[in-house]
Amino acid sequence: MKCNRCRGSAVVEVRRHNAAYCKGCFVHVFREQVKRAIKQHDMVRIDDRILVAVSGGKDSLALWDVLLELGYDAAGLYLGLGIGDYSGRSGEVTKAFAAGRGAELIVIDLERDYGFDIPTAGRKGSRSTCAVCGLSKRYVFNRAALEGGFDVIATGHNLDDEAATLLGNTLRWQTGYMARQSPALPGKDGMVKKVKPLFRLSELETAAYAFLRGIDYVVEECPLVAGNTQLRYKDAMNAIEARSPGTKAQFFLGYLERGRPLFTAADDAELSACERCGQPTTGRFCAFCRARAQVVGERLGAPMEDRDVASELADEVMPAEIYGGSP
Amino acid sequence: MGGRPVRSVLDELGMDPDTVLVIRAGELVTRETRLEEADEIEVRPVISGGVG
Repeated sequence: MKCNRCRGSAVVEVRRHNAAYCKGCFVHVFREQVKRAIKQHDMVRIDDRILVAVSGGKDSLALWDVLLELGYDAAGLYLGLGIGDYSGRSGEVTKAFAAGRGAELIVIDLERDYGFDIPTAGRKGSRSTCAVCGLSKRYVFNRAALEGGFDVIATGHNLDDEAATLLGNTLRWQTGYMARQSPALPGKDGMVKKVKPLFRLSELETAAYAFLRGIDYVVEECPLVAGNTQLRYKDAMNAIEARSPGTKAQFFLGYLERGRPLFTAADDAELSACERCGQPTTGRFCAFCRARAQVVGERLGAPMEDRDVASELADEVMPAEIYGGSP
Repeated sequence: MGGRPVRSVLDELGMDPDTVLVIRAGELVTRETRLEEADEIEVRPVISGGVG
């Protein structure tokens, strides 16, 4: 199989584009796709301070690598979830990546800094493990970005992630979630701008990029994720894609162009400050504080004795370790 | 041309080529690459179930 660009020997095939590339051309094309995504959705400016949410997996490390290679000011944020050896290894590869590139890495640990870990939250709380993990990440990333003065949060969501999420939201007609599913969500009301620069690239492409760039990433799946709904939706999408290459891209990219504007008009969610921590929420307390209260046995229902307590909590400095790079 | 294409090996294993990297001697190979009897390959899944 020949490379479409240089006619050398191909190492990666991208079936939905009916194309194949050698190592050098694939890395080039991958970065061009990221640049195109950034430009198309006005994701980041060259002088923005970007906080990259890094898990130690292929997507987030590939994203961090591309942003650094493109010359962006991109620091990493690693959140320790307390999932045994899996979290230990994830933290190690992330720290090694940051050290190897002289990049700034902020490390936050749920147990140390918030008093619970994800396995415990999955057992004791009312939400699924994956749900509480997802909301904890969104909460911590936003708070860390606000407190660190970052302009934008970048996550490694790829085309497969987005297509599977859209499928799930569509099957349940969760129109509010559909309206907010976008590669770039502007910041507002205490929410830092969020972008997904890999949304045009498949999971196979991000894995190939990480491999070809020599990035040591955690290949193993999270031990708590087996059988989750996201994986089922991915299986369904992959079954269709195998017979009709390009379906995932048509589904998600077509939604962004022609479907999402219809749902955005109907999304009227108002945000206000959580009474516990001050972070934005549609209710009285944010989902993170409600989940955490359940796990650590705190009562949130009683009125706060003094609003000053709430603002103190909101202002408390988030514990974090800084690894390498300039703060 | 000798050997057996990667595609055929993945078919036998019931694996979708879009969901795995196939690595031989530290290099990525495509579905059309032919494997010899003595070749050892790593079939590395690319699917992750997290949402961020």
